[in-house]
Amino acid sequence: MSSKTSRREFLSAGLMIPVAGAGSKLGLSKLVDATAAQAPDAPVKLDYRVLGRTGLKVTTVGMGCMITSDGSVIERAADAGINYFDTARGYSNGNNERMVGAALGAKRKQVVLSTKTHAPDKAGMLQHLDKSLHELNTDYIDIWYLHGRSSSAEITDEMIEVQQTAKKAGKIRFAGVSTHSGQKELLPWMAHKGAFDVVLTSYNFSMSIGGDPGMDQAIATAAKAGLGVVAMKVMAGGIRSVKPSDPLYQKLTHPGALLSALKWVVNNPNVTTTIPSMTDNDQLEENLKAMGHPLTPGDSKVLAAHLEMIRPVYCRMCGECGGQCQKGLPVADVLRFLTYADGYGHFALGRERFLELTAEHKAVRCGDCAECTVQCPHGVHVAERVARAQELFA
Amino acid sequence: MKAAGLLLTFLLSAGTVGAQDYLNCHFVPGWEPSGTKRQYAADNLFEYKDGGAEGYLSFGFVRMQGVTCASGGSTLDIDVSEMHDADSAYGMFAANLDSSLPIDKIGMGGQIQKQSASFAKGNYYVELVEIAQNPESDDSATMRAFAAKMLEHLEGRETPPAELAWFAKDDLVSTRMVPESVLGLRELKRGYVAKYKQGQAFIVQEESPEAAAAVMKSLRGRFAGATAVEAGDEGFKATVKYLDGICIFRKGKTIAGYANLADSQDAALLAAKLAARIP
Repeated sequence: MSSKTSRREFLSAGLMIPVAGAGSKLGLSKLVDATAAQAPDAPVKLDYRVLGRTGLKVTTVGMGCMITSDGSVIERAADAGINYFDTARGYSNGNNERMVGAALGAKRKQVVLSTKTHAPDKAGMLQHLDKSLHELNTDYIDIWYLHGRSSSAEITDEMIEVQQTAKKAGKIRFAGVSTHSGQKELLPWMAHKGAFDVVLTSYNFSMSIGGDPGMDQAIATAAKAGLGVVAMKVMAGGIRSVKPSDPLYQKLTHPGALLSALKWVVNNPNVTTTIPSMTDNDQLEENLKAMGHPLTPGDSKVLAAHLEMIRPVYCRMCGECGGQCQKGLPVADVLRFLTYADGYGHFALGRERFLELTAEHKAVRCGDCAECTVQCPHGVHVAERVARAQELFA
Repeated sequence: MKAAGLLLTFLLSAGTVGAQDYLNCHFVPGWEPSGTKRQYAADNLFEYKDGGAEGYLSFGFVRMQGVTCASGGSTLDIDVSEMHDADSAYGMFAANLDSSLPIDKIGMGGQIQKQSASFAKGNYYVELVEIAQNPESDDSATMRAFAAKMLEHLEGRETPPAELAWFAKDDLVSTRMVPESVLGLRELKRGYVAKYKQGQAFIVQEESPEAAAAVMKSLRGRFAGATAVEAGDEGFKATVKYLDGICIFRKGKTIAGYANLADSQDAALLAAKLAARIP
């Protein structure tokens, strides 16, 4: 067995085990296999979970409406049985809320509707809330999120007070926070604070890079405290951006790759529901399959292939490699310069920064060392990448 | 990740892709720069726009440069997003405009409000957002003055996409660009949608008449019971759930039509008129 095969299998196993383990240990979210509802074209099996202490029963696949192209897709999703819809005051300057409100129409009371405010203070939040109610054509919002908070420091007592007041006034039913980063600090803080009912967090298979269990633990902590956990950015973005010239393109873009990513998230019982963005009916039909179809070894292989692709080149800037190079190279800096060229297409910028290194560092050639002393804890092929930077820039 | 993004932002602002001269607080007397200029690429835009970043990316976002200006107790954020092409920049503007207000002739199109403004010119989509000392103040003159000076420094097209002129004007509520899956149909990759008091019209451009014909063939397969109509080079009408009465036709490399009308015959009549306006 080649080392490459071993690593692939290891990654594949890594994708499966943490989630399955978390589920068997905690068993917090109740998975309810409900009777199939009628989809527009074909029967769809719907899975439901209870959204933490809210008690709301939601489908494990919800709908993120931000980039939905036409209201008919939302209408169709509701008819198919999806019962969680998400938008935000800030999406398309409020135009997205209007489209969602119009599309749901009479179905509004049959679904769980969430929106968000990015206002920094009480006056702004209240203004946003009234505007959201108007645009969504409803007299209550099920879950009202503070939008895009990266740490507890970004959530003031005043914001919490506004949410609680809105709850008492019946304008919202439950309070939440949405977050794209800083979850390892924020989620435990929310769990301890007790002022929130739901957290909306980015979560996908790529977060298992390096076998870091921190994100899964943060989500488990939130779920254990009774918070409903809604996952976004579930597709990890990367799969869609793979270029046809990439050797792994065929594997990563084969039909079902995106579905595999969604199923991986749904497989975590601590996640109550997911809100993949859906632009069209085809995407809707595919995403519906994540319900009633468990994650398979085949799905894990597809995702492992994606990790295989990004792992050797994806520097997380953790700084663990500092001081490890026997020639004294600032490894993280060199990797970053390479990212400017390879990742962002700014070759000139990458070269300019490389040439600012000391003469001694510029003269280093990785090929001169018999063995590289730098070991990246996240699996970046350091020697290979730094050598490429030297080849490109020196 | 965030640290990497911030560092990238700093490095970009330091050199190669330097902030352009269209970002200048001194364009309007009394305003001064506050803090450093900001720059974002597709990889770290979410740090600034949170989940809203995805909307920018769907319109072909390349990079954003911005500055905060201050005057008295007020601040003004000016952000200039460079998009993949001029149509995308207009699309971003149209997706974010206030449909209750008219579109002004500012670049390809713009809107000025009391404490905000937005417009598109060339590949650039510009947003100005003021946090005024007096939340009730009407600072539209300031917004207009900044926009006028920025227009002088931004290069590119000043006419909206030609397709918009092909839509009928009667009962028109709004027009917008849809970056993918027009009408929720994956075959219709990118195009323009006009919303009317009754129904909506759309226009999509393909690379060639042959490519458009292939799309038509695929579309026809979606609509069981579709019947042929005389509109453009080929067309069909159908009545389907969610899109109601619909008529889609092809004229050369253009695919267009009407949807969400009570009757497919109504859609066919309007589609024939639309076909006549398409060059």
